[in-house]
This record gives sequence, C-alpha cells and structure tokens, in this order.
Amino acid sequence: MGITRRIFMITGAAVGGGLLLGVGGVSAHLLTHNRVGVQQDAHESDDSTHINMWLRITPDNKIIVINPHTDMGQGSSTGLMQIVADELDADWSQMLVEQAPADTAYSNGKVFEGFVREMMTPPEWASTLLENGFYRMGDLMKMQMTGGSSAVRFTGWDSMRHAAAATRQMLIAAAAEKLNVAANTLTTEAGNVLHADSGRSLPYGELAAAAAVLDSPKDIQLKSREQYRYVGKPVARVDVPSKVLANEDYGIDAAVPDMQYAAIATSGVFGAQVKSIDNLDEVKAARGVSDVLIVPDGVAVVADNPWRAEKAVRTVKFTREPHDNDTLSTESLVNRQRQALSEDLTSGMTAGAPDDIQTTVNAEYLVPYLAHASLEPMNATVWQQDGKLHVIGGVQNPLLARARAAKEAGLDLDDVVFQARQMGGGFGRRVAFSMSDDEPLNWLIQAVRIAVDTGKPVKTTWSRETDTRSDVYRPMVMAQFEGALADDGKPSLWRSRSYGKEMNIKAVAPPYKIPNLAVSYADLPHPVPTGFWRSVEHSQHGYFVESFIDELAISAGVDPLQYRLNLLDENSPAAQVLLKVAEMSGWRSGADNQGRAMGVALVHSFGSTVAQVVEASLTPSGPKAHRVWCAVDCGVPVNPQAIEAQVQGSVHYALSAALYGKCDLKDGGVVQSNFHDYRIVSMRDAPRVEVELLPLGSPVGGVGEIGVPPLAPALCNALTVLDGKRRRVLPLV
Amino acid sequence: MIKLNVNGVEHSLDIEPDMPLLWALREETALRGTKFGCGIGMCGACTVHIDGDPIRSCSYPVSAAVGKEINTIESIGTADAPHAVQRAWIEHQVPQCGYCQSGMQMAAVALLNTNPQPSDEDIDNAMTNLCRCGTYDRIRAAIKTAAKELV
Ligand code: FES
Ligand code: FES
Repeated sequence: MGITRRIFMITGAAVGGGLLLGVGGVSAHLLTHNRVGVQQDAHESDDSTHINMWLRITPDNKIIVINPHTDMGQGSSTGLMQIVADELDADWSQMLVEQAPADTAYSNGKVFEGFVREMMTPPEWASTLLENGFYRMGDLMKMQMTGGSSAVRFTGWDSMRHAAAATRQMLIAAAAEKLNVAANTLTTEAGNVLHADSGRSLPYGELAAAAAVLDSPKDIQLKSREQYRYVGKPVARVDVPSKVLANEDYGIDAAVPDMQYAAIATSGVFGAQVKSIDNLDEVKAARGVSDVLIVPDGVAVVADNPWRAEKAVRTVKFTREPHDNDTLSTESLVNRQRQALSEDLTSGMTAGAPDDIQTTVNAEYLVPYLAHASLEPMNATVWQQDGKLHVIGGVQNPLLARARAAKEAGLDLDDVVFQARQMGGGFGRRVAFSMSDDEPLNWLIQAVRIAVDTGKPVKTTWSRETDTRSDVYRPMVMAQFEGALADDGKPSLWRSRSYGKEMNIKAVAPPYKIPNLAVSYADLPHPVPTGFWRSVEHSQHGYFVESFIDELAISAGVDPLQYRLNLLDENSPAAQVLLKVAEMSGWRSGADNQGRAMGVALVHSFGSTVAQVVEASLTPSGPKAHRVWCAVDCGVPVNPQAIEAQVQGSVHYALSAALYGKCDLKDGGVVQSNFHDYRIVSMRDAPRVEVELLPLGSPVGGVGEIGVPPLAPALCNALTVLDGKRRRVLPLV
Repeated sequence: MIKLNVNGVEHSLDIEPDMPLLWALREETALRGTKFGCGIGMCGACTVHIDGDPIRSCSYPVSAAVGKEINTIESIGTADAPHAVQRAWIEHQVPQCGYCQSGMQMAAVALLNTNPQPSDEDIDNAMTNLCRCGTYDRIRAAIKTAAKELV
C-alpha cells in the first residue's frame, strides 16, 4: 500500500476527507522541511512541496492530529492533541487523532534526533544538517518507533508544537487575504480566525485550502505557558471510554474470513532450530488440526480453534539441531560476566585520578534477565488477498514491522498492508528495533511464515509460556563498585565496572559531584536475546548506583537523603525533587514502631528527574512495600493525570521485578513460563503510590518509564534500615 | 452439541466438552471482550460471570457452564447505559493499555453485587486479577466511587 499522491494533494479532498496542511520552509525548528524530499523520494510523481504529516483540517473544521507513535495507554495521543489544540487555538471538541499509516512518508526521525541529542550536544552549525540527517535515517531505518518516552517530549514538544503554531499563523495569513485586512488585526479562538473590527469570523475549515499553499512563517510564534488552556491540565484520555466498554480491538481480537489459528512451541534453546517433527501423523490426527510445520525457532500447529492448536502443539515431538547454547545456564552466564569484569574494559567516563586512592567500600551487584510479560501475549494475523500480504498486529513500530514482514515474505514494502492495532502492553517488547542482532519481531516473522507457507489466513498467538520463553529480555547485568570516603564523609572516589555495551554512559554514572570517577564496562554481547525493557539501562544501573551511594552514606554515618543532597547543587532539579519527596513522605531515617522503614533513590532518565521514597517492612512472606512517594520533575507536565498514572504504573512494574522478576537459564532456555513462576504484583502487594509534579521550568521530559528505575534501590535501601543487610542481588523473593 | 447461555442468548456449539469457556466465547460466539492472558487461571483477564459468580474462563470447561447463565463484559453496560463500575472506571481514568480491564471490571461488578461497601481488605481479597500496567491505585479508587454510587 503506497500512499497515493492524493494524500499529499494540497487542494481538494484528501483521504479521510481532510486537508493536509503544509508547513515547509527552511526553519531549523521545523521537522517538516526535509519531509518534502523524503516524501518525494517515496512518491516519484509527487511534486507538491509544503507538506506536513502531523495535521489535517477537514472542511467541517475538525483538526486531525496524526500520531506517528502507537498509544499503549500512556496517553501520547491525548498529549499530542493537547499541544496542538493550544498552539492552534482550537477547541477540544474539534480535536481528533489518527494513527499514522505504516508508511515511509510517516517515518519519524525526530525520535532518533532526540536520543542522540540527549547523549551529546552538537554544535549549532551542525543542527540543521543533523535534523535532515535524522529524517533520512528515520526513513532508511523505517523508524516509526514508540520507545524511550519520546512521543510527547520529542515528537510533540519539538515538532508538533512548532507545526501547529506555524499552521495557526498560516491560517491567519489566509484569512487576511480573504478578508482583505492586515494580519495583525486578526486573532484566533476556538478554531476560528476573528476580525474584531468587523465582527467577522472564519472557521479554520474554510481557510485550510488557502493556508496550505502558503509558505510557512520563518518566525514561528509559540504560546507562552500562561496561555495554555489544555497543556498542563488533567485532560481525560481519548482512549479510555472504548477500553472501559471493551470496544477496543487488540491485535489478538483480529478476525478475518476463514481465519485459522496457529500455536507455537519453541525449540527450547535460544538460536537453535528444529530439524524434524517426529510424530507428524499423530499431531495431524487431532481434531481441527490442518498443518504442522517447522518455523523459525520452533514448530507451529495450525487448527480451526486456538485451543485446539495449542493443545496439539504441546504434543509435538521434534528433534532440534545442536547449538552452542545447548548448555547455557544462569551459573555459566554469571561466571562469564564476572570473568569479563576482571579483563580489559572499555572506559566510559573518567575524571580526576582514580588510581591513586585506596578504596574502602566494595560491592558486587547482579540483576537477572527479565521478560516483559505484557498481558496480551504476542500475536499477529496474516493473510494474502488481492496480491498483497496483509498483517494485523500490535507493535511499537508499525513501519518497521511492515518492512520486516515484507522481507520475510520476499515482497516489496508496497506489497504489504500493515494494520497496527491496540496493544495489550508493550513496555519495549514490541519496539521492533534492536541494538543487537536479535530479532525482536520473532513472533511476527513466525506468523508471516505460517501464513505464506500454508497459504491460509492465520492468527498466530503465543501462549503465555511461549511468550515468557521467547522474549528479547532485559539483559542480566553484573556490576562491581569501589568507593572511598574523604574526611568529611563525602565520596572521594567512585569506580564501577559493569557488563554490557553502554550506549548511554550517563545512565551508568552517578549523578553526584564526586572528584575522582572511573566508569567502565565490558563491551560484550549476550548469548540470550536482549531488547529494550521499560526504562532500558536505567532499570539496572539506577538500582546499582542508588544502592551503592546508600552504602557510602551508611559507611559515612550520614542520613542517606542528606548525603545525596550534600553531593548536589542546591538548586538543581535533583536536589529539588529530593527535598520534595522528603516533605511528601515525612522522611525519617530509622524504623518506626510498626517495623516500617524508609529508603530513598534518585534517578534522572529520559529527560526527567524522579526521587522516590519507599516505606517497607519485612513480613514472614518477604519484603512488603506499603507506600511509595514520587517527586517528579518532567518539565511542563502536559497531562498531569496521565503522568501520575504512568508513574504509578511504573512503580508496580518495577516492584514486580524487584520482588519476583527473574528469567533463569537452564539447558539453553528460560526456566520460567507463566505468572505462577514469573510473578506480577497484584492488588494485595501493590503499595499506595503518591505522585507530585514539580514546576521547576525544566525542558519537557519523558514520563512513561521514569518511575521504574528508583523503585528497586529505594526498596532495598529501606529494607537495609530494618535488618542491616545490603541486598545486592535481585529479585528479593 | 454443547448448549451455552451467553448474555441471555442460547448457543448450540459443536465443540469438545473440555474446551475452556474462554475459547468458546472468543472464537465460537465472537465475544472478544473477554481476554486471554495466561491460560492457567492466574491473571483474570478472562473473568466472566457464571450465575453471577466471577470465574476464570480459561480454566473452566464448557461442560461445567451448561445450564448456567454466562455473562461477559459485553452484557455489563453500553456506551449509552454504562454500568456504575464503568462510569467510575472512566471518571478515574483507570485503563492504561486496557487489556486486563474487562476482567477487572467483571471482578469488581461481582464484588459489589455481593458486598456493596467493600473495605480495602475486601478489595484485596476479591481483586486478585493482574494488571501489568499497574493500574491498581485507580482500580481501588474506582471501586469505592462505584460503591458510593450504587448505595
Ligand atoms: S487467561 Fe484466564 S486467568 Fe489468565
Ligand atoms: S491496563 Fe494494561 S494490563 Fe491492566
């Protein structure tokens, strides 16, 4: 499905009955200037210029925001609509949102750009070049990703805000021409351009066609924070009612004519393929079973009901190709990591003269591989129709998923139609994009193979067991620390070594002022498939760093919260959130008379800063978190109630990992299989979580992941207060 | 033939007696609001009511449901006439991904039917469904709001 030129026509009815508004020009701020080239490359016949993919305005004055991210309930659709409504002076009742098609013309380089800029600061002269480059890259890499908490802060704040503001100015210019008055006599309100002197008003819908052919303004006027009517307000999320009424179709709910169902059994060893199916006739004899076939990483059974398929696939006996991973175990992997840390390491960050100082506090930490365990198991529905391959799936990167499906089927991108559906959780599992050789879309590849090889319309659904054992896991990481204290108790040295390539060394280094610092890592891969897991490297390194700083505080005999403050600039967001969380929690450093104690942690991630205090106790069945307080600096809080929900949800997600989460390796595969041995916190385990957002004037930060990293260290720090034991290995139960 | 009464409608289905109710509902009667999360009775995404009691349909054979009243999320409320639980769910903006929420609401409706003023402890005992997105704070608040409304 190529996007036809019609979509990009500047005049007339575009697909969907709206009008794409052009925002072009060569503004360093605008994301759109280089889309023209990209889109023209994608559609040779397209000679139109000023094009913007974010906004459409319909003749009946609806503003349609085109979201190049997939909303998994984090509220990005609503957040983007709020930003656009404010900059455009639109009324909320006019606002609609659509998911961007999985098309190259809607690739999103802004996400890339945001990440790279977060890790390095390019010189000013390189900025425009870079921006162009990122869009080219986004195009080439089929980047349409939702991940890294990027939707609102990069796509929304950096791009759509400017695009909407420019559009408003263009609508005014179009109105000025039409009414034959000066532009500065016009104002905008609730989706209309107003001419106060004559009392005339023109709805945007009537101006869009004329506005679309204008040059975008060089000087874009953005609203000030005082002028916002929607940004910063607790707006009800647009996706909530249909979810509550169960009217939402998830990938797993796909239904197409004559659909069959596939279930998968994994080979059991990462990377090992199945050589032969040894009881084919027996499996095929089961009711409803039509096909039994070898697929990448396992075998599939196709039947006329998902339960029949699953039941049958569990009876398949197969022979596996031998593989290097056959003997892989957690023990062998732990040893491998420890060995690696004693060998040559890559230096990530060095300051001062770390080698001169005698260390006094030493610690080794270890966190396991973790599955994402989104509640909807991975699934995809694939069929062939009218010469095209059709795919329905829930992914965090529809464009890349479409490209992978095409590659697997040996087709051109244009011969694959991809429908992105609602996802029952993502948490990074469905990002589709990988920093390693591992294939995060492994379920989609299987689904495509099955549909192509059988020639049938097939919905492939993983069982929970297959889902748990075929993930791209959060990496297991070992980290070793050495510290020394100066006479005033402050750290005089911090040295760390950790396993795994670190793209973002800022995530590994402490956020504190420490004169001598040496952060290094073993740049080595994992034999187990790895991927992005909510908050990525912050989830491990936040735990390490914030545990070790607590160890230093204790050895200095200083209150851990005060100790952190002593190492921060007084006015920094980090110090501010710490002070706030102390106030919220009524911070105290000892245990109370009910046997409860508090622990604190502070982590900066995805452009936001979070301090958490966990109040915990030790019960006969293990540690219990009773309450969690979170003080958050995420810059402008676009939708405070959605942010609160994200932080609360992150706390529970992280608590599951801290208490229970582990994927053990044995004989080359994962031992855990379902929620009985890969436990998730339930209502009973869930602490009450209070969230406050601080108005510190920081740039807009991400919110979907930032609540995860501080939880484990804050919990462990609290438990140490109770029994003096330092918990350096997760999970706790 | 297995005869099932689902949301007041009789279905006569050519299925095995040991087929879990979940798969009969989703694929044989096309009621897909009831979700699959684990298949072993752990997560509650598949919660439906049998004669008013919440059960986990992934682990409940259709043979056991014969002659009983089965109710799914589709029968609880509509956009025009949402159930008090659904109104509270919207007011508190409970769902994130939303995948667990039909099961959560079925569990909450069943709880409030038998215990109109549940304590926190009652909520902990009854709401054993799992939410991977971690919407527990708001589920608890929404149940309390719905309880007030139902008085
Ligand atoms: S799917 Fe039935 S309890 Fe999880
Ligand atoms: S809202 Fe996503 S699993 Fe509960």
